[in-house]
Amino acid sequence: MKFLFLVLLISALPVFGQVSPQNGVSDSKAQFYALKNATIVVSPTKTINNGTLLIQDDQIVDAGTFVIIPDGAVMIDCKGTVIMPAFIETNTAVGLPKPTASGFSMRPQLESSKKGAYYWNEAVHPEVNASNLYDIDVKANEALIKMGFGLAITHVQDGLVQGTGSMISLGTNNTHKQLVHPYAAQFYSFEKGISKQTYPSSQMGSIALLRQSFYDMQWYANAKNAEFNISLDEMNKQIQLPFIFKTTDKWEILRAKKIADEFGYQFNFIGSGNEYMAIRELKNWSNFVILPINFPEAYDVKDPYVARQIPLSDLKHWELAASNPHIMKVNNVPFCFTSDGQKTPEGFWKNIRKTIERGLTPEDALAALTLNPAKLLKVDNEFGTLEKGKKASFAIYSTDPFKSDAKLLEMWTLGDQQILQAFSVHDVLGKYNVNIDGLIYPLEISGTPNRLEGKVQTIKTNRDEKTQALKKDTLTPKVAIQLVGDDITLQFNLADDHFKGSVNLHGKVRSKFGIFEGDAMLPNGKWTTWSAIRNSDADKKEDEAKKTVVDTLICSRLWFPNMAYGFDAVPDDETIVYRNATVWTNEDQGNLKDATVIVQNGKITYVGKGNFSIPPGATVIDAKGKHLTSGIIDEHSHIAIAKGVNEGGQAISAEVSIADVVTADDINIYRQLAGGVTAAQLLHGSANPIGGQSALIKLKWGSTPSQMVIPNAPKFIKCALGENVKQANWGDYNTVRFPQTRMGVEQVFYDGFERAKIYEQEMKAFTDGKQTTAPRKDLELEVLLEILKSQRFITCHSYVQSEINMLMHVADSMGFTINTFTHILEGYKLADKMKTHGAGGSTFSDWWAYKFEVNDAIPYNAKMMADQGLVVAINSDDAEMGRRLNQEAAKSVKYGGMSEIEAWKLVTLNPAKLLHLDDRMGSIKEGKDADLVLWTDNPLSSQAKVEMTVIDGVVLFDSKRDYQMRAANQEEKARIISKMLESNDKGEPSKPFAKRKAKHFHCDTLGEEGTEEENHH
Amino acid sequence: MRTIKFIIATTVLVLSFTVKAQSNQSILLLNGYLHVGNGEVIESALIGIREGKIAQVSNSLATTYKREEWDTIIDLMGKHIYPSFIAPNSTLGLTEIDAVRATRDFDEVGQYNPHIRSQIAFNVESKVISTVRTNGVLMAQATPRGGDISGTSSVMALHGWNWEDATILKDDGIHVNWPSSLEGGGWWAEPAPKKRNEKYESQKKELAQFFAMAKAYAQTGKVEKKDLRLEAMMECFKGTKRVYFHADEIQQLLDVIDLAKAMELSFPVIVGGYDAHLLGKRLSDAKIPVMLMRVHSLPENEDDAIDLPYRLPALLQEMGVLFCLQNQGDMETMNARNLPFQAGTAMAYGLSEEQAVRSISLSACEIMGFDKNYGSIEVGKSATLFVSEGNALDMRTNNIVLGLINGVFIPTGNFQKDLYEKYSQKYLQQKK
Repeated sequence: MKFLFLVLLISALPVFGQVSPQNGVSDSKAQFYALKNATIVVSPTKTINNGTLLIQDDQIVDAGTFVIIPDGAVMIDCKGTVIMPAFIETNTAVGLPKPTASGFSMRPQLESSKKGAYYWNEAVHPEVNASNLYDIDVKANEALIKMGFGLAITHVQDGLVQGTGSMISLGTNNTHKQLVHPYAAQFYSFEKGISKQTYPSSQMGSIALLRQSFYDMQWYANAKNAEFNISLDEMNKQIQLPFIFKTTDKWEILRAKKIADEFGYQFNFIGSGNEYMAIRELKNWSNFVILPINFPEAYDVKDPYVARQIPLSDLKHWELAASNPHIMKVNNVPFCFTSDGQKTPEGFWKNIRKTIERGLTPEDALAALTLNPAKLLKVDNEFGTLEKGKKASFAIYSTDPFKSDAKLLEMWTLGDQQILQAFSVHDVLGKYNVNIDGLIYPLEISGTPNRLEGKVQTIKTNRDEKTQALKKDTLTPKVAIQLVGDDITLQFNLADDHFKGSVNLHGKVRSKFGIFEGDAMLPNGKWTTWSAIRNSDADKKEDEAKKTVVDTLICSRLWFPNMAYGFDAVPDDETIVYRNATVWTNEDQGNLKDATVIVQNGKITYVGKGNFSIPPGATVIDAKGKHLTSGIIDEHSHIAIAKGVNEGGQAISAEVSIADVVTADDINIYRQLAGGVTAAQLLHGSANPIGGQSALIKLKWGSTPSQMVIPNAPKFIKCALGENVKQANWGDYNTVRFPQTRMGVEQVFYDGFERAKIYEQEMKAFTDGKQTTAPRKDLELEVLLEILKSQRFITCHSYVQSEINMLMHVADSMGFTINTFTHILEGYKLADKMKTHGAGGSTFSDWWAYKFEVNDAIPYNAKMMADQGLVVAINSDDAEMGRRLNQEAAKSVKYGGMSEIEAWKLVTLNPAKLLHLDDRMGSIKEGKDADLVLWTDNPLSSQAKVEMTVIDGVVLFDSKRDYQMRAANQEEKARIISKMLESNDKGEPSKPFAKRKAKHFHCDTLGEEGTEEENHH
Repeated sequence: MRTIKFIIATTVLVLSFTVKAQSNQSILLLNGYLHVGNGEVIESALIGIREGKIAQVSNSLATTYKREEWDTIIDLMGKHIYPSFIAPNSTLGLTEIDAVRATRDFDEVGQYNPHIRSQIAFNVESKVISTVRTNGVLMAQATPRGGDISGTSSVMALHGWNWEDATILKDDGIHVNWPSSLEGGGWWAEPAPKKRNEKYESQKKELAQFFAMAKAYAQTGKVEKKDLRLEAMMECFKGTKRVYFHADEIQQLLDVIDLAKAMELSFPVIVGGYDAHLLGKRLSDAKIPVMLMRVHSLPENEDDAIDLPYRLPALLQEMGVLFCLQNQGDMETMNARNLPFQAGTAMAYGLSEEQAVRSISLSACEIMGFDKNYGSIEVGKSATLFVSEGNALDMRTNNIVLGLINGVFIPTGNFQKDLYEKYSQKYLQQKK
């Protein structure tokens, strides 16, 4: 429905502080306005029926049933209407110019292109303040106002440290007045936005850069001799403002929260709509989450070939998205709503009502749009409710919009009235006798004040064709009614004894006397007068207003993770007794036939062939003919990583950590469990010589990312050598970043470690009191220092022997050891030197020929390195190979003739040793973690399949349960698709299916998304 | 001059001299466990080879033979004999190092390239090839890539002096990349979500029209103006040339069946076939065989059965569809040596052992159309086979002790073994 957008120019009464000269005589405005006879929703918890709202200038003087109205007040009769506080939009860029990127260049831009004394990284620009850029955009305001917003925080939505947003009132003129709070909140995100600077190129890089910025800011505040820096100066000034952090996924909230906790800040978050999937972590927390309500549209699923392609995760999210706010509520997470993504008020309200159908009360929804954002912004003393003394920012609706379709009639912004639709105070519902030219037609007006419905009674005389008797039939044609102000129009079609055709009436409403009167145009074109007299009230109809059907049960459809193969409830650990298995202990006793292994409280409590007693409540598994091994540990994996495996923006990125970006809903976690993998080192890529810190995880499907990370694990970092770090295969434009040769790679290491040493000296000088100013905390150098002090181990991507030798020389000269060379495809050429140095090797079984530096790679490598006494592992670096590492280990039996027992250790005990986790994993020994795999066959056989994988005593993969899950996936899919079909049939908006290709990271994958293309490892 | 040798084939050293041996010598392989390739086994076999062909196959325990009738007699007690494994749809010999552009010879400019021929670019001295044949893969279908029609493949032996004598089957078929019913956006670092390919119908039509044109050309018989492209297609309609349709999605597969029928193609083949198991009898009814996608793959969709790629061979076997395995994908040339283990996985997930063997030998030859002479160890066929210490489908026991291509012994060493020897020596010397 289109409605007029009128603006009354009665605003701009000169207020204190206005400095602009005025052209002509000052605008006129009444001193007081009294809005009478309205239902006033003062706050989510307080409503005044038939009350009066008294305002003066931009303030509410009083709100109540008995309000003393001062002389000179303008009275506005608001009978039948509902007055509510203006909504507050927290996530908008209304009135601001769009940030624009600099020109395109094929060559990487390593430094900031912003001229001036700003922060070194272009994505960090706290100096950007919305009020400097704000100009009233009437059209954009209008879009928000129509949804009920009268206030907004507008900010430039760009960059990591985005700058400050301004609180604006959505008035139509006088920018000065509308800028309520120029500095209202500070905004952050993980997206670098329009910056073309190479760093950061991943989410973990963004996280590191944000942390470094905060440290720089704190240092700058106290540094006496620091060079002037506009950005750090501004950042210090605004640090007391409320924080708003924009996220694009549930796990990002947790990542941002971690940063907040490190610095003791209180972040609020702009959510992405799937927060309910992380509810186990968000539960009971105190920060606000600003929830979008742009719930996904149904897919067009009429074509079954298309429907079968839609992942269950998308279907389940479609079903549960509208329950997001309710799930927040029952878990005590305070939240606001944003209209971001909503194009029309109809869509906005439709989605708000959806949240109510899913269990939110109208009061909750109102709070999420008024009081909660006011509290978040710490302006609840001025805005958010209509209590005495607060600002006069409110909306007038024809009825309660949270309960049924309502029209927005007026928006008052800081006391300035904007009329969106003239409204009528007349209640015309009832029964009437309409007199047209002396003929009486009974009329009934029913419906709601918003949607009036009418019927007239007319009589038609017919002659019965058989009996020739006259018969009177009563007809009740519908009447179209419009009521605008005091004017009413009625239109109906007659076919009775007097008229045939359309009758059009227009008249004035005289409520006081219960009559309408005016002129009528008859079907024959003649004009006459008409009137109507009210007889009685309308019949009380059954409450036709649609009863809201609340469905909160749907929340129980949440799976962990919320996708195919997810759990209804994550299983608990079990007491398990494996009997009669062939047990590959990886210990001195070798393989035990017909042995028993007992698992209790997540640990192995018994291994052997002797006497044992079955603990109470134990699950006893007869594993006769089957093989039980410790879980596979993948030393080199890139699964379960979000938004970038490489921070390739700089040659050294030691400050970034994969542990910051672990994700729990990668299907490859489940697939690899089915391949017997229980733990993995998630490595940074190989795009630069010193990459990022690793995450050591267990593949705990159904857990949250933080639960997957192994507690108290040793620290690791990825380094890399060769073609990838010198960007040899990156095309002709990537010839700028140092190093471009193996010669340069050496110098990167020396430079980094020498700088770290100097940093340490400065730090020491400060702590010893020899230096009064603290050196700037440098996250990168602190990690390099950990390496120098042997507190952090290196896993180094490497291929040819010259570079391997080089790095060992660097390490020897600096006094530390390279823990692991990974890939290490020429390790067989210098295994003796590696042994002397103390390094181990984690290699591919048989990969080669994919690039020049792997020309001398041979599959005998693992065996040859092992023969020289190195700890050798075989790893995947590949989501596909990761689920059959048992087969890869078996290749060492073929190539070089390794014994089966030693070959099996290549993927279990040896990677555990390389990761310094062998005190708790890697073998079947009493006291170690119960990370166990039951195989149908010798695990090195191509015929071996996993029957059961257990991590910490929890059965996370079970081949029988897997079949049930497949069936459950299909059922769930069918159930939701049929629901979608219903939605399709109803003609609700739908979208065509867009297939997301799974992205898989490899060592050299750049950017935040993986690639389907060939890779170069 | 006849020399009689009796060899106990226990080490690879045997072969260092056999390489020099004459091709027309007669060879008797005794007492090995024979996997015929057609599904049958002979637990203790006698295989006679004369002039490069299999002259005799029987149970060695029930057959007598005269020593003097054979130039070479090899006792294979306890070892396994297999027909050569074949890597269909492969860029072996057409590329050497994936990342080095100068070595990439498999993707020509242009969309319709049926006339582009892989045979003449095949590099018999490829180092990659030397590591593939030592796992039992002695033949490959050298296949061009790219475009709508990539070109014409040829089946090549993985050993020879040049591409001419390495050719097993010249120009066996053309390769069509069926348009995808889903399309992707973005670029490689930031791929946009795939969506329904709105142009699918028109792309399909364009391809069909090309086939119609080629068919018309083939029917006219003599043509005044020779058209290289259409000339290359002629044999697809009435000859034995295969048309290999690279297609995975159900929509594509159904459309391929329709086009093959409408164009009366002699031998249509599907390459890929991820969704083929959904087609039920429609594929076997249409008599269209499938070169299945790489077994060692991840499921295409998040919700798919996690072992679906492993089970596809068994599913097609149950449906009665003729299929073989192929290995197209990431690092496919070097990975061709793992084809036997992919068959091993297919066996773990439902094929019988001999069905698994067939899926990389006889079935492949049938699909490509040279099963008359290759693919199984049967009388009259070429002696193209190998002997493994144990089960060749298992990583631990696949150890090739001898191999024959057309009755000629091939080297069982490669440069990787040489490097192994060389550096083993380094460490041995250190110990002294």
